Amino acid sequence: METGRQGTTLFTGICLLIAVLVIIQLWLLGAALDAALSGQSVLALPASIASAVLFAINAGLLWYVFDFDRRRRRVDPDA
Amino acid sequence: MSDAPRWRQDFPILWDEDHYVTRRELAKFLTLGSGTIVAATVGVAVVGDKLRPRGAGPRVRIEGAETLARGSSLLFRYPSDEDPCILVRLADGRLAAYSQVCTHLSCAVVHKEGSRELDCPCHEGHFDCSDGRPTAGPPTRGLPRVLLEQTTEGVFALAVEM
Repeated sequence: METGRQGTTLFTGICLLIAVLVIIQLWLLGAALDAALSGQSVLALPASIASAVLFAINAGLLWYVFDFDRRRRRVDPDA
Repeated sequence: MSDAPRWRQDFPILWDEDHYVTRRELAKFLTLGSGTIVAATVGVAVVGDKLRPRGAGPRVRIEGAETLARGSSLLFRYPSDEDPCILVRLADGRLAAYSQVCTHLSCAVVHKEGSRELDCPCHEGHFDCSDGRPTAGPPTRGLPRVLLEQTTEGVFALAVEM
């Protein structure tokens, strides 16, 4: 398989993974809000830590995509 | 398209090209959204208890509360005529009052004589009479509690604690 097609498959997978992580973050936000409204605001802290970890993973994946592009351009400037 | 200046790529003439979102742009938007969600979740953690509405209402006398028998209940309205509440005299003689609106889907909770629970007939939700917390069924939040004051003049509702 050529590098371009590999990249396409890889980036589709990465987009899907980021989307799934964002959905989990939305669920965490909902759970934190529900807990805060029911007087258990202490639960919002672990939820925000977990959400921050997921954001770090997302940022890492995005960085990987752009780093992949940069490396590819270095090898083939017309890409 | 690759020879066109960058601004031409960002603002193309054709609608199809304008609506085209690359996977990289999608990943960028999703990550930006992810950061926004983190900020919102941290905001909820910081603000915390302040999100809970705790309205101090008028001081209203609950008619018939003094003569309420143990294990029985009566209905009243507080703080306005559109807010149904339920007062229960527990087996140990204490009084407890809650909003009658179920925290699941807003049906009216009822109390059976002698029971230690408030029951929501719509979806079989149950709440403990002594503290209003959910004990079974779909509700996850406790019933808003009505703060009471007992004096020689009678029983008064003071505020609703969410």
